[in-house]
Amino acid sequence: MATTMDRRRLLSTAVLGGAGIAGATALGSLAPEAAFAAEPVKIEPGAPDPNFAEGRVTSITGSVVLLAGSDGALHRIQVTNGTSIWKFQPTTFDRLEKGDGMYVRGVRLPDGTLAADSLWANIVNLTAHIASVGRNVLHLDHHGKRLIGHVVPGTTAAVYNGTPAISDVSLLKVGGHVQVIGAWHPDTNEISIATVYAAN
Amino acid sequence: MLQSLAALQSLLVGVVLIWSARIKLFDRRAAEQARTSALGTLLGAERAVPAYRVLGGAELLLGILLVLPPAPVAEPLAAAALAAGFVGYLGYARRVAPDASCGCLSAKATPVTGRSIARAGLLVLAGLVGIAAGGTYWLPALTGSPAASAGLLLAEAALVVAFSPEFDSYWLLPLRRLRARLTHPLRGGSGVPLLASVQQLQLSAAYRQVGTLLTSDVRDHWLEESWRMVCYSARYQGRAATAVFAVPAGEVAPDRVRVALVDDSTGATLVSLADPAYAT
Repeated sequence: MATTMDRRRLLSTAVLGGAGIAGATALGSLAPEAAFAAEPVKIEPGAPDPNFAEGRVTSITGSVVLLAGSDGALHRIQVTNGTSIWKFQPTTFDRLEKGDGMYVRGVRLPDGTLAADSLWANIVNLTAHIASVGRNVLHLDHHGKRLIGHVVPGTTAAVYNGTPAISDVSLLKVGGHVQVIGAWHPDTNEISIATVYAAN
Repeated sequence: MLQSLAALQSLLVGVVLIWSARIKLFDRRAAEQARTSALGTLLGAERAVPAYRVLGGAELLLGILLVLPPAPVAEPLAAAALAAGFVGYLGYARRVAPDASCGCLSAKATPVTGRSIARAGLLVLAGLVGIAAGGTYWLPALTGSPAASAGLLLAEAALVVAFSPEFDSYWLLPLRRLRARLTHPLRGGSGVPLLASVQQLQLSAAYRQVGTLLTSDVRDHWLEESWRMVCYSARYQGRAATAVFAVPAGEVAPDRVRVALVDDSTGATLVSLADPAYAT
């Protein structure tokens, strides 16, 4: 915990301290040509992206996660200090559990292991309509199937009509259509809602 | 008394059948949906529409026979048999094509649920009770004791509507909306969500500058006075680094977003960017 605080202080000082402030063009041109000049990723058409993996966690050993992909493929995922881990919100490696479903993006190492850059556990993206609401709960009708979406005050964000995200979800309407980004509770029909997009 | 109440069942079943036939025969959207309904899955898309129409015709014929005099016992018997057929079809469809629409009482696509099966069961029951009328027509029963008859018919019609997911938008959703308006079950969200800060930093010049160096999604975030700090992993000149953004927490001002790249192994600041107009 102390090291987390020390590290946060170091980073805050680096960005707010004012030392070494450079102009907005210190890293080169702001023109779009420069941004698009990066080497495109070379993937054969139709071939699976080698730098991506998905599946359910079958075991976690040290910093290596084994995934059973939905197509039957097995993946070895190496998590590093630089890996971003999302499980309903940015979190840490120790929060991952056996049975979590996940999407991983990273770099494929020569031995077939995927060195993870970003890892999203249990993330779901679905369109539904709100069948009814309860105390911090949305009952969602997802193409005829009922889902329970938990609203977590302070973490759940709502985006209405594409305007900046806010924490107030009370503008959602029963019967309205929504798109939900959330974290599935494995092997249930329940999710925690990270972001809900709605027209209002 | 019981006999006259039984006679009323023919009216109820007849009206429900005529309503159902009206959708099947005259609603163009419903016919289109028959292809994708459970019927389409069971019979094939080409045969589904003719079968749907034939079924509608049979319903219309039986419905009219039930509503008009005379009232032989064969009519409620046939209605009970047809409704029993529906129960069987719905049960089968639910097992074989659980996601398909039932195509029952409305053009609205509604998957087969326990409620639609209960509704068909209710019609079976009404048909069977109707047999007990022993050939009595419903009109004399209605005029004989109008209050009891109207009450029974209204109660049964309410049951049919309650068992019909197709009609939910007319009564159930408004009720739920009213409840939400009175109890405010979703109140209580406050503060600036992380997504608002991420949206803001993605609009900033600082992000455009370092965006191609980032390798990960958000790794860590915290509040520091009036700023929200958001960290990503980055690679800069071959070195593993952390890109830390400072985003104004209380206002929308992408111009004020700052970023610093900090070397992960040494802790040295590699680059620090801010719009000169806001640099302090």
